[in-house]
Amino acid sequence: MAMSALRREGRRLTSIVSPNPINLLRASVVSSEEQTSLGVRYISTQIVRNRMKSVKNIQKITKAMKMVAASKLRQVQSKTENSRGLWQPFTALLGDSPSVDVKKNVIITISSDKGLCGGINTTSVKVSRALRKMNDGPDCETKYIILGEKAKLQLIRDSKMDIDLCISELQKNPLNYTQVSALADDILKNVQFDALRIVFNKFSSVVSFLPTVSTVLSPQIIERESEAGGSLGELDSYEIEGGETKSEILQNLAEFQFSCVMFNAVLENACSEQGARMSAMDSSSRNAGEMLDRLTLTYNRTRQASITTELIEIISGASALEG
Amino acid sequence: MTLNLCVLTPNRSVWNSEVNGIILPTNNGQIGVLPNHAPTATAVDIGILRIRLNDQWLTMALMGGFARIGNNAITILVNEAERGSDIDPQEAQKTLEIAEANLRKAEGKRQVIEANLALRRARTRVEASNTIS
Repeated sequence: MAMSALRREGRRLTSIVSPNPINLLRASVVSSEEQTSLGVRYISTQIVRNRMKSVKNIQKITKAMKMVAASKLRQVQSKTENSRGLWQPFTALLGDSPSVDVKKNVIITISSDKGLCGGINTTSVKVSRALRKMNDGPDCETKYIILGEKAKLQLIRDSKMDIDLCISELQKNPLNYTQVSALADDILKNVQFDALRIVFNKFSSVVSFLPTVSTVLSPQIIERESEAGGSLGELDSYEIEGGETKSEILQNLAEFQFSCVMFNAVLENACSEQGARMSAMDSSSRNAGEMLDRLTLTYNRTRQASITTELIEIISGASALEG
Repeated sequence: MTLNLCVLTPNRSVWNSEVNGIILPTNNGQIGVLPNHAPTATAVDIGILRIRLNDQWLTMALMGGFARIGNNAITILVNEAERGSDIDPQEAQKTLEIAEANLRKAEGKRQVIEANLALRRARTRVEASNTIS
């Protein structure tokens, strides 16, 4: 791979370095482009030096980005772990049943705004598309709500008609519950749904991010399922107090569940984004280091070859004078 | 026989241990919960949660949410919760006065409703910091 890159550089060199008087002055530094029958080429050490400098700069930048991502990860991680306990009681009470039959599905895809974070956004989009295909039926419709620029760019290409709402710049201010609950309020007001499926990347460890789908059912569906028995049948055994009617409480409960699950999903995705960016920048700096090693070898080889050529010229000239 | 009480807010877990009984402020008034209560799910209003622990009553200010009472396990999910002992009385009193002033200044239905809610929250905090018995 390195040789083909060098070959490409060499080809560029021949077009620039035509028989030019200025280049003759630089003969000691620049070895001319030679092509022997063996196919060995010499490349200007200056070009290699420039390339080394730029690769080193890139390595510094990616190292710095990794450290920034690590510190941001630390901040969000504690918040995420605290918010994990929040949605578990809801699942215990209302169940998380992704297989309930519904007519109107709304898929909320959570992604990042900035790039260079590995493949997490693509996985989220793939999962959303697969969900949509799974739920497509005669009278079922699926709509998208997109959080974050990256998923918007990918989904706008083929599902432009189905996108209901697009929200970006979620992480301008540190994430907090008030902001997310206002967002959830907005969504609930503007979108008709039977089931909401939130697609995000769950942060299980610094190197592993699992795409997850959380389902929140609308209150009508909850009532229908709890009366029919099955996974939500337990809900019926609970006495519901604190309001006029059971459906009013169930509606408040469903809205609260949605905002809590949303809060947790957004935090987990932010954690996954920082973790993925850390590992992407880490492998990128490692690659830059390897590239730098290879370029150093080439540089040394070129330098030694030009010195050897000079020596040979001097010695043969001297021996010609003598003899 | 003890109840396992769990009070959770979006930002952290405020209480997670066993108690002897609680008094919960709901939309329809206060309900007392003792061991072996029937399974219930209720909405929790802005008010004071009283926790009975070893013949002592502790207070906690809750800012609205839900409660689920299961097999001797109570889970309360609220927007915000503060222990009575953690609230500074003077600061709570000042917040109450600011909220009252805001209510007087409020115009328009939405602002009046919001000011009312803020007032109730401030009043709850003041009560929670005062009644430590």
